[in-house]
Amino acid sequence: MTALDSRVAVPADPAPDGVAQRDRRRLLARHRRDNRTAYLMIAPMVVLLSIFVVWPLIYSVYLSTFKISFYEEPEFVGLDFYQYVLDSPRFWESIWVGLYYALLTVPTGIVIALLLASFIKTLSRRAAAYMKTTVYLPAVVSTVVASVLFVFMYQDEGVINWMLGLLNSGPVNWLNDPGYALPAIAVPGIWLSFGITTLILLAGLLDIPENYYESAQLDGAGFFQRLFRITIPLLKNVLLYLFVTGFTLAIQLFELPLIMTNGGPVDATTTPNLYIFNSFRDLTPYATSFSLTASLMLFVVLGAISLVIFRLVNSDKAIDG
Amino acid sequence: MKKSVPQRVFSAVLITLISVSVMFPLAWMAIAGFKGKTEVLRSPFQFFPDMWRWDNYSAILADPQFLRAMGITVVGALIFTALSLTVNTLAAYAFARLEFTGKRFWWVYCLTPMFIPAMAILLTSFMVVSKLGMLDTLAVLIIPGAASSAQMFFIRQFYLGFPMAVEEAALVDGATRWQIFVRVFLPQSAAPFVVMGIASYLAYWNAYVWPVLTITDPDLTQIMQFLGNFRSDRGNDWGLLMAGSTLASLPTIALLLVFQRFIVNGVRISGIK
Repeated sequence: MTALDSRVAVPADPAPDGVAQRDRRRLLARHRRDNRTAYLMIAPMVVLLSIFVVWPLIYSVYLSTFKISFYEEPEFVGLDFYQYVLDSPRFWESIWVGLYYALLTVPTGIVIALLLASFIKTLSRRAAAYMKTTVYLPAVVSTVVASVLFVFMYQDEGVINWMLGLLNSGPVNWLNDPGYALPAIAVPGIWLSFGITTLILLAGLLDIPENYYESAQLDGAGFFQRLFRITIPLLKNVLLYLFVTGFTLAIQLFELPLIMTNGGPVDATTTPNLYIFNSFRDLTPYATSFSLTASLMLFVVLGAISLVIFRLVNSDKAIDG
Repeated sequence: MKKSVPQRVFSAVLITLISVSVMFPLAWMAIAGFKGKTEVLRSPFQFFPDMWRWDNYSAILADPQFLRAMGITVVGALIFTALSLTVNTLAAYAFARLEFTGKRFWWVYCLTPMFIPAMAILLTSFMVVSKLGMLDTLAVLIIPGAASSAQMFFIRQFYLGFPMAVEEAALVDGATRWQIFVRVFLPQSAAPFVVMGIASYLAYWNAYVWPVLTITDPDLTQIMQFLGNFRSDRGNDWGLLMAGSTLASLPTIALLLVFQRFIVNGVRISGIK
């Protein structure tokens, strides 16, 4: 996993050749001190993650090798359940639904947020304060409430079809058409999350020294040149974060389709977690083991794809601000 | 920089458009709180109620459990936010700025949990917290989620962008890493702390499944739990749920209004800016 830490900041140590023995000793001593400091600093996080995330994960993997039912003693079955999950076409379909949803929401959300953040940056202090609060407002609504809200808006005679009617088209049966249902869910998905993305990008934009833009403007750089030569390269650290977390959140989408469509029509909105949840509710025996194994497989898929994103975004050296 | 008239008009139009698209669903929620039980679900879509009734809002405010749930959730969310910022920022600084043996291993170890689906460990983490005797305490809501790979990752990405020069100068002057962390890095962290702090606060505030699993004590009932029970006790009364959600969002909005001012042009260390 070299790509993960290729962007580690290395202190500019002097070249070892020609350095006096005394200096080398001092460097080594400093390094040892860093070791102690570093371990003290990561200790709380490592301990908490070990107890509440890593250990439960190991335990889940262990449990997934057993047939668990309420009526019988657990029986060791090895990797049988992994075979069942891999052979289940509905599991793979749900992964595709998740990927499609991520593709619909993550790039769109980031582009909208970047445009909004650039816009807010140009505003006066008071207008900016107003906008910073406004864009974040949707996030204070819980997903359950947002789902209900959008179901009403998507009704046959809801406000969205009413607006389409003004343009002399529609009505569209948004949540019952397999082609429209997932994009229809993507809208509240973006609506709920673009606020925090905008604030994050705004914090990143405000961190770029203004004189970079001024000198670029003097050199006659246009809007797009400034965007692609200054803004995006300098926001790279932040963008990597947004792509990776956006993707992991998107593929784990659960509540919106559960409430809005319950996975339908014909599984068009059955995301991986919803599939896992539904198979857990299934009345088939061993539903617990099956859904547990499926969620562990999702972890593997998610980790693999995230690694690819890391490599793509982090492929060349980023610039220090 | 003074703006021209067309630019000002453009800005005003854009602000209005964004406000409307953001506010419309929220306004609908607040107004649905004034509607009767069946009126909320009525088709065709109707924005205003036939008759403005205060029943929903007054019923919720009159319930002593509501205010207690709000209070205990605010307290829990604030402690949770402070704890997670502390834990994750310390690790973030170490991963961004220090060289140490085993760094790559621990980096992967601390980052990977981000990709673990909550579903995969829901059952087993419940077993862990019940073994530790944490059920029905505020600790079960605060401690297990405090270490967040995503938050640590974000703050680390932010710290990576800090100029090296100042830190080197401080090291030459004999400052320890702790001193640099506290005196140089922390004072520059207001913007990322506010962004991540609000996210933590909201994650705690909107949590539903975990509190339902781990909390049965009515004195510790969390606000989303309360709203869920309130609705099911009264036979899916959507008007009540909308009124409750509106009231429950008020403290968060207030917090946002106070803290948004920290997301501003920072004064960068070093002479860059």
